[in-house]
Amino acid sequence: MVAITIDGRKIDAKENSTVLENVRSQGIILPTLCHHEEVSPFGACRLCTVEVKANGKWQLATSCNTPVAKGMEVRTNSEQAVEARALAARLLYSKYPKTKAVRDIAGKLGVAVADEKDDAKDCVLCGLCVRACREVVGACALTFADRGLGRDLDEPKIDFTADACIGCGSCAFICPTGYVRMETTGDRRMIWDKVFKMATCSVCGRYFAPEDQLAFISKQTGVPMSALMTCVSCR
Amino acid sequence: MKPVAFSSWNGKIIDGRKGLPKGKAGAADIGCPVPKEGQKMSALMGWNGLVVLDKNADIPSLTLAYLKEARKLSCGECSVCMIGIDRVTALLKDMAAGKADKGALGEIEEIAKGVAKNGKCNFGRATALTPVLDAIKHYKNDFLALAKGGKLEEKACSVAVTAPCMQACPATLDIPGYIELIRNGRFADSLDLIRERCILPGVIGRACTHPCESACVRNDIDEPLAIRLLKRSAADADLQAGGCGLTAPKEEKKQKVAVVGSGPAGLAAAYRLRALGYPVTVFEALSKAGGMAAVGIPDYRLPKDILNHEIDLIRRAGVDVRLNSPVSPLDWADLQKKGYGALYLAIGAHVGTKVGCGGEDVQDGGFIQGAEFLRNLSLGGKVTPLKKVVIIGGGNVALDCARSCVRFGFKEVEILYRRSRKEMPASATEIEEAMEEGVKFTYLVAPANIVRQGGKVTGVECLKMKLGEPDASGRRRPIPVKGSEFVVKTDLIIAATGQKPDTAFLSGKSKVGLTDWGTIKVDEATLQTNVPGVFSGGDCVSGPATLIEALDAGNKAARSIDAYLAGKAFAPELSLKGLDTKAQRDSGFTAKAGAAKAALLNPKERTAVFAEVEAGLSAADAMKEAARCLRCYRLMVWE
Repeated sequence: MVAITIDGRKIDAKENSTVLENVRSQGIILPTLCHHEEVSPFGACRLCTVEVKANGKWQLATSCNTPVAKGMEVRTNSEQAVEARALAARLLYSKYPKTKAVRDIAGKLGVAVADEKDDAKDCVLCGLCVRACREVVGACALTFADRGLGRDLDEPKIDFTADACIGCGSCAFICPTGYVRMETTGDRRMIWDKVFKMATCSVCGRYFAPEDQLAFISKQTGVPMSALMTCVSCR
Repeated sequence: MKPVAFSSWNGKIIDGRKGLPKGKAGAADIGCPVPKEGQKMSALMGWNGLVVLDKNADIPSLTLAYLKEARKLSCGECSVCMIGIDRVTALLKDMAAGKADKGALGEIEEIAKGVAKNGKCNFGRATALTPVLDAIKHYKNDFLALAKGGKLEEKACSVAVTAPCMQACPATLDIPGYIELIRNGRFADSLDLIRERCILPGVIGRACTHPCESACVRNDIDEPLAIRLLKRSAADADLQAGGCGLTAPKEEKKQKVAVVGSGPAGLAAAYRLRALGYPVTVFEALSKAGGMAAVGIPDYRLPKDILNHEIDLIRRAGVDVRLNSPVSPLDWADLQKKGYGALYLAIGAHVGTKVGCGGEDVQDGGFIQGAEFLRNLSLGGKVTPLKKVVIIGGGNVALDCARSCVRFGFKEVEILYRRSRKEMPASATEIEEAMEEGVKFTYLVAPANIVRQGGKVTGVECLKMKLGEPDASGRRRPIPVKGSEFVVKTDLIIAATGQKPDTAFLSGKSKVGLTDWGTIKVDEATLQTNVPGVFSGGDCVSGPATLIEALDAGNKAARSIDAYLAGKAFAPELSLKGLDTKAQRDSGFTAKAGAAKAALLNPKERTAVFAEVEAGLSAADAMKEAARCLRCYRLMVWE
């Protein structure tokens, strides 16, 4: 255990835990867009910003990717921290004014949000799909397109490599805005711009998973395809 | 340089707009980069502030140009940096269009401060909007004038981008760029970017002295990025995927170029010229290509299959590398008759310099030059292990000789160095690894006489040294202690105290001039010798230096030769020499995280063979390490 202080309260934090985990375990609400327990932290949405005391002075830090350290002092409700979170929310709202997930968070953080019926479901570049595909699935079909020196790319975006995609749908599941769409009808599943053929359960005959996904699992685990042709309910 | 009208460089305000400037500081005096003489500059906006030379400069338009360039560099992944830049740009345009009033300046200030405090990386924290904040604070009236009909113009400005690591790299690789590609799992794209300036990525990823790592901003937080290992991971990933070829030239040119020497300088120039479409022939005197990378660095540090693969790629791109082809004596007129329009001399520095001790001229095999020793090994020569070997010198060549001798089975290997460990030019890692392997280091000792008995070397008489005042190199000068003579017994002495180029082939018809140091004399900017059409670079110009410096020389020479053959004036790249790129106003908080470490063969296993000591990083480890990069791009825009 590591002794830390959050908003003046003394807490025993788990070794290697992050500040965000401990803040949330105290019932303090910090809504985020780019964080998920199952994937590595990314620190991109800046909505979990708090203040930590480092080298004797209070400094802003994103709590999701700041590991706890012995004697660490954290404050979540200082003017600086609240302002930093509000600015991040305001900027996100200015860029994605019609995306419900952004509007909801911006509203919670005190941004004046105009009424809007539509949900544009924009990609907010949180990178959750990229990390889920790489770290949880292992397919690595998604990656950030690179901007920067000498690279002529006007807007940041996430690239989809169709060849590597197995159609599992993890990206659609983890996407906070609904940008990644997955539609399954009959023996076809469409995800990003790729169409997958669904496999039928050898017992009940229902379509239950893309054939590419089963082939990927078979290759990863060494279990023969024939042993994977049964759906969860019939296993 | 005339005094500045205004400067906020590094947060220090000099304001000379009302009346005469208070100080006499010019832009260069305050550490701000200035273009070469003759070029005009009215104002510069850089990551570290705003510098105005002409009090009539249009600061709002310069700000707009800066924002445009900053947007290109922002990765766009965090929520504040790129959106902040976009928002500030929109607010400025709104003011100029009469759609926003002075309230917009308040919002710009708030966003600029917020991005600087809470950007994800150092680009957002230091570069993105910091000087914009200075501009709206100190040139408030100019911005307010926008809302009253003032003009905001899209101007074409000069732009320079660097980073502390890039500036430290002799070949100015886009280090944050290729690291970012690795972070995103784009190893092949990363390798392409590396190859734009480093045509031997696998070699450099193993044997570079990596000054970039010493310049890394993370030195002040935890540990520098493992930049060399990241470069290697990009090269290794390509090899594992089968090794893709190099880009073919877009057009074929007629004028041929000859290159003498196939070391890093020669290969870099040859490939760059080939990529531009020139037919290139490389003449190599030895039976192996690669120069010092082939015959100077032992296999345990640089496996030769890595080097040979990279040379193969250059050959497959169309460079004709001819082995066992010494060009001696050099006859430039004859080469011209054979159709060569330009010649690049990259012969390296392969001749050991004299140690200055008695008896070193006797040729009995008991005293040998380090460079010659390593060259013989690399060309397949055998070494019979004796009981003891003494190596004189403290550079990487001395270490390479010592560690090779350990591997050949010499019972005792001792390095004699005339200064202390602190002054030793060899890399700290090399020294540590050599010590692990049992190499003995004796400091503050210089050889005076070689002792021979019955025609055989039996020892070396040495003098003890003490350190005096620093010399021209900045290191403390060793001074002999009178009457301190003593004898170190040994069967073999290897001298590794320096090398110079073998320029004998230049005597006679060539007329290529040399310096007092015995190196080839060139024009610093164009790398051309006193003979028109004959260029030179690498160790034979600089004296013994690093592989990456040689690559840089080759890159430069290719650009210069291209300009020469095209009959155009050569415009060297903007030099940012002396610019302090490390300084930034507020670095913010970064959680500590140690660097990735490569696995090493254990000392017992490694001394039995010449197998590579260091393993590379796995792809996953490389991506994790790459995520530690703070992306300290520094941007400057001026008009």
